[in-house]
Order: sequence, then C-alpha cells, then structure tokens
Amino acid sequence: MATLTTTSLSKSFGKTRAIDDISLDIGDGEFFVILGPSGAGKTTTLKSVAGLVDVDRGSVRIAGRSMDGVEPYQRNVAMAFESYALYPQRTVSQNLASPLRSGRSGRYSEAEQKQRIELVTTTLGIDHLLRRFPRELSNGQRQRVALGRVLVRPADVYLLDEPLSHLDAKLRAAMRSELKQLGAMSSTTSLYVTHDYQEALALGDRIAVLREGRLVQVGTPLEVWHEPVDTFVAKALGQPEINLVDAEVDGGVLRAAGGALEVPVPRDSGLAAGDRARIGIRPRDVELGRGAEPATDHLRVRGEVRLHERLGREIELTVDIGGVQLVAVAPGAEQVTEGDAVDLDVPLGKTHVFAAGAPGEDTARIGAPTVPGRNR
Amino acid sequence: MATELMPGRKRLTTGSVVADLAVIGWFVFSLFPIVWMVLLSLKTSAEQTSTYFTFSPTLENFGTVLSDRGTALTSVDFTSALLTSVVNCGGAVLVSLVIGIPAAYAAGRWRYRGSNDLMFTILSFRFAPELMVIVPLFVIYNQVGLFDTKVGLIWVLQLVTMPLVVWILRSYFEDLPADLEQAALLDGYTRRRAFVMVALPLVRPGIAAAALLAFIFAWNNYVFPLILTGSDNSTVTVAISKYLGGGGQAYYNLTAAAAIIGALPPLALALTIQRYLVRGLSFGAVKS
Amino acid sequence: MTTTMDETGTREHRHGGTGGTGREVKPVPAWRRRLRPYLLSVPALLITVGILYPFVLGAYYSVLNYAAVRPTPEFVGLDNFKTVMSDPIFWTSVRVTAVYALVATAVETVLGVGIALLLNRSSIVGKIFEKVLILPLMIAPVIAGVIWRLMFNPQFGILNHVLGLGSTFNWLSTKTALWSVILVDVWIFTPFVAILVLAGIRSLPKEPFEASDVDGAGWFYMFRRLMLPMMWPYILVAVIFRFMDSLKIFDHVFVLTAGGPGSTTRTLQIGAYEDSIINLNYSVGSTYMFLLWALVFLTARYLVSVLGKAQKRAAGSET
Repeated sequence: MATLTTTSLSKSFGKTRAIDDISLDIGDGEFFVILGPSGAGKTTTLKSVAGLVDVDRGSVRIAGRSMDGVEPYQRNVAMAFESYALYPQRTVSQNLASPLRSGRSGRYSEAEQKQRIELVTTTLGIDHLLRRFPRELSNGQRQRVALGRVLVRPADVYLLDEPLSHLDAKLRAAMRSELKQLGAMSSTTSLYVTHDYQEALALGDRIAVLREGRLVQVGTPLEVWHEPVDTFVAKALGQPEINLVDAEVDGGVLRAAGGALEVPVPRDSGLAAGDRARIGIRPRDVELGRGAEPATDHLRVRGEVRLHERLGREIELTVDIGGVQLVAVAPGAEQVTEGDAVDLDVPLGKTHVFAAGAPGEDTARIGAPTVPGRNR
Repeated sequence: MATELMPGRKRLTTGSVVADLAVIGWFVFSLFPIVWMVLLSLKTSAEQTSTYFTFSPTLENFGTVLSDRGTALTSVDFTSALLTSVVNCGGAVLVSLVIGIPAAYAAGRWRYRGSNDLMFTILSFRFAPELMVIVPLFVIYNQVGLFDTKVGLIWVLQLVTMPLVVWILRSYFEDLPADLEQAALLDGYTRRRAFVMVALPLVRPGIAAAALLAFIFAWNNYVFPLILTGSDNSTVTVAISKYLGGGGQAYYNLTAAAAIIGALPPLALALTIQRYLVRGLSFGAVKS
Repeated sequence: MTTTMDETGTREHRHGGTGGTGREVKPVPAWRRRLRPYLLSVPALLITVGILYPFVLGAYYSVLNYAAVRPTPEFVGLDNFKTVMSDPIFWTSVRVTAVYALVATAVETVLGVGIALLLNRSSIVGKIFEKVLILPLMIAPVIAGVIWRLMFNPQFGILNHVLGLGSTFNWLSTKTALWSVILVDVWIFTPFVAILVLAGIRSLPKEPFEASDVDGAGWFYMFRRLMLPMMWPYILVAVIFRFMDSLKIFDHVFVLTAGGPGSTTRTLQIGAYEDSIINLNYSVGSTYMFLLWALVFLTARYLVSVLGKAQKRAAGSET
C-alpha cells in the first residue's frame, strides 16, 4: 500500500511523443483510471511507472520513495499486460506461482503459495484451469490468469493494462462489477488503463483523460462527466457521443438551429452578443416531450425524426431541428418512426457550453447555462 | 489427382502430369550422383572400374576407410580426421553460441547505436572471400604455432559459425514479445533470470537450428583446413579430397565410401532441423 | 502536484526495502542502463575485431612485396596492383569468375523458381521429393566435387556410359571444364534457391489469387502480375546469396580441376590460392583478394539496395 506520484513524465519513441509531461498524484489505496483512445500513451505511462520504459524526463515516486534508476523488479509493483504476457511453457498454476517464487514480494512456503493461488483462482473462477497451459485457454480465461498473477501477491501498486478489453461484452460487464469487489484491489493503489468510458466511470475513484500523450483532465467520475474540460473529454464519455450544436449569442441567450434551440448564456462567460459558441447536449439527457408543458428547467423543441435505430432495449433517434441534427436516446417502448414529428425536452441544467470551433476541432468548456433559479 | 499450380487454382490433368514429369526429371538429376556414389562404395577394387550396375556388393570399403591409419593404402588417417572435425566443429559452434547469444539478444531487443554496424560486419564475414583472411592467418599461424592446431581452426571457423548464430538468433529474439520478459521483471526476477527463465526456453528451437546449421557448415568447410592444417589436424573434407590424389593409384571405391561417411552427419542433422532450415539458410531473412 | 516536488526531492534515493520486502534497493544510474546492450555485445565485438585484424593485414600485404622468399617486406605502393592488372592471367581469372557467377546464378534462379512452383502444387510426387530436395545442398561442396569428378571420368565414369558418349568425351577439357564446374554448382545450389522461393510462395497471402481467379484471370497473368512481384524479395535474397558466393567459389572447382586445364577454370580465389599458398607470394595473393573483396563489397551494396526497394514494393502490393 502506497501513494504513487509521477512528475512530468515524458517519453519519445523516435520522433513520436508517446507521453508528454504526465504528472499524477495518486493516493494510498486509490483506484485511478487512465482513459484514452489507442495511441494516447496509456501503456507507456504504465510501463514508465513500472520502470519498463526508461523515461526521457520526469520521475516516479512510490510510497514517497524516488524510483529513479530503480530496477522494475525492485519497485514492488504488479502489472497485468494487455497481451496477458503469460509464460507459454508454464501451466496456469506455475504462472501464478512465479511472483511468489522470486522472493521479492515476500517469502512463501509451498503451502502458503498453494493457499494464495487457490484463493485468487477461486475468486476469479479459474480454479479448474490450474494445470492447463495458456495456449489451452480462451482469451477471457487468459485475462483472468493475468489478473490473478497480479492479485496473488501483495504489491505497492497494481498496474492494469486494459484487463477487460479482450472479453466479450457480457463477461466484461460481469468482471467490471467483480473487479471492484476484490479485496486486494480495493485496498491497493491501482492504476487502471482503459479505452472504455463505462469501465472508467464505474471503477475509478478518479479518472485521468489522456490524449496524444498529454493529460487533458483529471477528476472524479462525477467531475469529468458533469464538467468536462473540453469537447474531447465530453465526446470521450458517453455513447452515443454528445451533440455539439453551433450557436450564436443573441440577447442574453445562445441561439441555435434557426432559433429552435435557445440556451441561456453561462454566467461570467464573457460571451457578448454576436459571439459564437457550441452547445453540448448528451443524447441520454434528452427526453421525449410528454404532456402540454415541459418539466421545469427543460426546453421543449420540436423536430422531425430522420433516423431510427434500435439499440437493444433503447432506440436512438436522430431528430432534425431547424436544420440541425440532434441525437436522442429514448426508451424502446416509444412508438416513433422515421418521418414522425416529435417533441424533445432538453434539460438546460445538464447542457454544456463550449467555445466555438471548426467541426472536429476540440474546444474548451465555457460553462453551463445559467438556469433561472439555480446555480449550475 | 487434382493439383493446383497456384493457391486456389485447379489445373488440367495433362498439365499436372507434365509438371510431375518435370519434378521427376529434376530429382533424377539431383539424386543420381548420390545413388551412384553409394553403388561405387559397395564395389570391390576389382569391380570399381570394370562394371556399372551389376556387381556383388560388399561393405568392406567402409571398414577399410575407418581402419585406415594413414599407413596402408592412401596416407590418410580418416578416423582421426573424423574426430578432428567433430572437435573443431563442436568447439566452433560452442564458442559462437556462448558469444553470439548475448550479442543476438542485445541486437534483437534494443536499438542501440552501433548495433547495425556490428551486425552487418559480422554478416560480411559470411560473404568475404576466405583467402583474404587465410593468407595473413597462414603467415601468423606459422609464426605463433597455431598452424595445424584445433584451436587455430576453431578460431577461424568463427567466420562460418558466428554470422549464422548471431543472425538467426537475432531474428528469433526480435519475434519474441518483450512483454514476457517484462512480466518476469515485475514478478521480481532480475534481467538475467528473466532472460534465462523466459526468453531462452522460448528461442530454444532457434538455438538448436542455428547450432546444428552452424555445425553443418563448419563440417562442410574445406578451404580453412586445407590451408591452415597439415597432417596432424586435417579434417574430413580434406581427408576425402586426399583420396583422389592418392599417389597415382586410384581408390575410387574407397573415395566413395569416405565421401559417404563424411556426408552422413550433415545430412542427418539437416533432416532433423528441416522445419527451421529456410530461416537458417537465409540468415533469418525468410521466415517460414 | 508538480510544484510540491523540488529538484532535490526528485533526485533523492532512499535506500531500504519497498513495501515490506526488506530488500536493499540499489538504483542503477541511467548511463549504466544504456551500457547494457554494449556489455552483452563485447565478446562478439572482440571476436569481430580479431577477425578484422587479418583482414586489414591482408589489405596491408597488398601494398608490400611480401613473399616467403622475402621475409622482410618493403612498401611498394600500388606496384602489386599494377603488376596484377597488367597480367593477362588475372584478367582470365576475372572473366572466368564473372562468367561462372553470372551463368550459375542465372541458371540456378530460373531452375530454382521453376522447381519451387512445381513443388508448390499439392501433388504426391512433389511431396515425396520435397523431403530429399536439400540433399545435394547439405553435402559438403568438396564432396560433391569428388563425386562429380568420379562421374566425369572419361574411361569408367558413369556419365559417358549412361549418356552414350563413349570413352572419349572429356568433361574437363579446355573447352568444357568451365561449363562442367558450373553444372556441378547448379547441382549443389539450385535446391538453395528452390527452398527459399518455395517458403516465400507459401507465405504469400491467398486472397489476391482467389480474387483474381474469381475475376477469371489467366494463369500467366496471375503469375506475372501477382505472384512474381510478391515473390521478388525472396528470389532476390536467394540471388544475392548465390551471386556473392559464386564470386568467391573455390571448393568443388578446386577438387575438380584445380583451376585448369590451363587457366580455364582459374577463378579469382583459386588464383589467389596459387599465388599465395603454392608460390608463397603473399602480396600478390592478397592483391587478388583485395580486388575480389572490393568487387564483392560493391556488388553486395548494390544488390542489398535493390532488395530493399523490392521489399518495399512487395509490401505495398500485398496490402
């Protein structure tokens, strides 16, 4: 158990900057998630912490101790590799015993080793595979073994590189909820890398969003969800992606979609009449309008359904509002089809205002609309 | 039967017959000399020049070659040449492995400055004209007393074995995911132990292939022992060639028997590593 | 967080165990880390230098007048090069080597590719013969030379008997010797080209062929437009090995003809052998070798650059 601090970690491979100025401060026992698309530098960050990558600049401290020049095997960290990295010529049981036999994570008698392996394999549901070789396992089983090799021994820090990425959707959801309940995991400082925002939100005590080797935002799941620092973070979280609608300030409101969409200008935003900005609306926040009046703080807009896609229990609607396409998610029971006119209720308190930018360009968040009678 | 000249392409039966005939034609050409050699080695001295295919076979020639101590017929001590070849080639391969494996590992794992220069210099030994080295070594060996010694030959055979070992193994180490050794490091093992425990067992086929192939080529080498050894440490290849020039008298049947004995070890080794042969012969350039 | 860590803080190493393992932690400075691959390469480097030393010495001999009869040589500048290059026998050697290398490589490449294509079919005959394809290649070239010398023998040799040439045809005469030694080279080394190319063919992706088969492309079109460009790198690797080896050919030629009759099969390495080992004129032999080395070196550089381009092109055509 230990804190983990990285200071200005930077590493280039040839001309490509893998990570640039990564500074993190992770508390004792914290479950910290790094979220980012592939190639963002997530694995390089993990391997830098582990000492497997020699950083160009910056330093790592574990439990307050500088790790400068400390060999990986002396850092007392455990890592689950995305490629599993199971020793192919050894059985599952031998793979799991490997960290216990090196003598560097403590000394264990044969009986203690057996007991630990039993405990961890039972927890992960792989206790029937002990004598198998990695090549005889499914990807899901391999991933569990890789996790088991981490959990089987105490460590200052657990490093987990996409440990659920190769599982199918169902197993992934199950493992996600299991992971947090694992005793060792909840008490050991963990650095968890993923490209899946749901994992990040579900598991992380805090989340760092990484983009092209740089930290974009660090915060609790609630913070990154409710106050994304820019459109990149906003788009990274949530499926379908957040709607971004171009708007112009006109008389104290942001007007978009030919006047169909009007959102109050955020307080202290510095936006003046004629300025341009972007309104961000998450599809899942939009509701189909019911009754004569929208709920309080909701804006009702009218549009025509252009696209209707069923996603399991829900439907995804693309609605045209005054020439702007807005994506909304509605319960599957709704009887709407393409061409129908619908009312959409947009919760003003949950919308975001971002600086104006070209399509595809990421811009900073300015704030949330000032809803009458509420702050934020 | 249905054949395909290219993947997924069916050919007419007449075409496949012609193709089969062409294949057979090549193998008649390819195997005939070997068959002829075997026949010749089974003939008595009386029959060796008087008959082609009908004769009463005998294994006597092999006994003569192996018991020849360089006194009786030909001034060739074939058994001691066999032993010398085994020691030379074994020694040369061993030296190359001990020295080459770490270098191959370094080159396969890290991109360090000078890595390519060293690798290509080692490769260039394979293509350099041997006499460029032999002439000076001939002079030096005569001066320092390495002429006609096993140590001297093991040293110069590095030109043959080292490039093979280093290049083949580098290609194997390159193919080995670094994650495995990194996992071992995080399990708490030192770099050396991670290498011995994880990397080494996984490239064992590569090591075996490289070692055996290096042994074959060292065994088959002729020009180094021809010039750098005398009668004490002459090798199998030199000994066989001596049968030909044997003092006016021709011992064709003995020559054939000696040639077969000398060819057997490489052939046997080659068949055991057939799966890895292409990769070895092309120094790792062609992976099959 | 970055501001709380000052310079001295980041540099501080606190010795002692981490996480209760109670082990001494010895930091390894960065320069020591970077040294690692070099340390692993040191023995190989020493061997390399040890082998390079006679190389350099050989080059040095070529500017001396060093011979067994002249144990204290003098510096003679480029005299050896002048002597050698004005000697017609040297140019005979150059011609013999060039003809040998070009013809042998060309024939082996064509035959090797042909055999590879034939063996690539899933025929029973092919499967049986594939196993024995490499036999001539694994026999020592000098033994191959011995075998063929016995077969070439005009009186009792099997070739004249089987081919019905009587006992007068001389395979190793002034006119025929060069072609005969090339024939033996073809016998030994064609399998080398064949197995490399065969491995190459088998590693080719199947999809382009299936696609163009569906499109109704003819066999020759597929071979020329699809197979050949993708096989080209493998063929080139084989050609490079064969051509460079042919330039310095020695073993079986030496056993078969020792360079004769006359100088008709006197390749450059055999010439160097005569001058330095038989005549014990080290400097002249080394001059031969230096010139051959330069030839090999330049050829190698050229062929490797061709190979690099071909590999890039083939990679492009595969995707």
